[in-house]
Amino acid sequence: MEDQDYILFDNYINNELSEDEISAFEERMDKDLVFANSFNLYLETTIFLQNSIRNEDETNDFKKNLETISKDYFSQDKVKSTTSVETKTKPFTLVKYLVAACIALLFGVFAFNQFGGEPSYSDFNSHEPMTIVRGNVKDLIQATKAFNNKEYEKANILLKNVLENDPDNSELQLYYAITNIELDNFKVADKELNKLINGASAYKDRALWYSALSRLKQKNIDATIVLLKQITEEADDYKEAQKLLDKLE
Amino acid sequence: MSEKKVHEDQKYVEGLLNNNSFIIQAIYDKFVPKVVNYIKQNSGDADQAQDIIQETIVTIYNQAKEKGLELTCPFDAYFFLLCKRKWLNALKKNKNKEVTINEEVLSKDDDAHELAFETELFDEKQALFNEMFQKLGKACKDLIKATFKINSMEEVAASLGVTYGYARKKKSLCIGQLTKLVQESPKFNQLNY
Repeated sequence: MEDQDYILFDNYINNELSEDEISAFEERMDKDLVFANSFNLYLETTIFLQNSIRNEDETNDFKKNLETISKDYFSQDKVKSTTSVETKTKPFTLVKYLVAACIALLFGVFAFNQFGGEPSYSDFNSHEPMTIVRGNVKDLIQATKAFNNKEYEKANILLKNVLENDPDNSELQLYYAITNIELDNFKVADKELNKLINGASAYKDRALWYSALSRLKQKNIDATIVLLKQITEEADDYKEAQKLLDKLE
Repeated sequence: MSEKKVHEDQKYVEGLLNNNSFIIQAIYDKFVPKVVNYIKQNSGDADQAQDIIQETIVTIYNQAKEKGLELTCPFDAYFFLLCKRKWLNALKKNKNKEVTINEEVLSKDDDAHELAFETELFDEKQALFNEMFQKLGKACKDLIKATFKINSMEEVAASLGVTYGYARKKKSLCIGQLTKLVQESPKFNQLNY
């Protein structure tokens, strides 16, 4: 690639091209495989740099903490002197019992939250991660990152912006709707999902599933059941939908 | 789209992400003994196990941080596989040493294999990018670091005493140079590009 190509890549990523330039760029992406591959690598490199440099301090804090716990663990005689876990006897002290009890209690709470009682929205809100699609790349990268990091408020604002320029993008509509469910903006979420359910996109079935999850979060069980029953066997979410139906009925 | 549900052990991944000492300690108490045992039975010692385990946990942390890792299998299986493969790779690099491999404790979990493969690929890509980044000249490194730390190109330019236009152009060319170094590396083609 020539110098001007890299400058072009950067301008495209930073959304600094005119509409004509964007069209020309995207046309070249479709036709010129070498160009497209170079751009994808440039984008991946940019994301790598962004993540590794921006998260540097946090990562260093994590490494320090890990190092301390690791050193402490491995300084115990049991690790150095034994060769087999099975033959090892753990010298438990009262403090250790207490720590273990705390951890057990902690996990007990986790487990209870996840599986105890009535099914809830949080049992099912493990969303498929967003992947970057074509369009306003800068905001999309940010939105994808925010969504995958579960920063739904941020993702919501960014997706809303992107959708203004690309209102018919059904994938974005779906993810925008999910952020609205997460933020309890049910009216907006349900409206977006209805558009998808009544449309003809590939996200029709998934929109039905999320529509049901939205009703579940609103504790409208009857509506949840009605929507779940409309999910066909071919849908990706059929199994999950059946699982939820079993619990609700 | 996949139907896989996130495993309840995702709590360990979240704990790592939050730098939660309780969870890190729990990982050591629950999952590390099996790895230490495996490494000791396969030509290694406790010190080597300590390094392998620490590196593996950092890799999981990085992947979770940057790619939103979602566990679809038990943490135990995933973690053990990653440590095991890292150890076998370390052994391969040190060929002079006589190696005995005990494969009794192999995981049969397909999801774990798939996830471990993805994590390894991520780790190798990161390592390649890092290695090539170090090969850039100091001016490029400084500019790139400032760009992604500061976020405003005007401020970056001012902090480095150059014009905005120059900083923008130079940034693109430096990243371009990094992509070239990555592309020219023999490791590049092995990484599924």
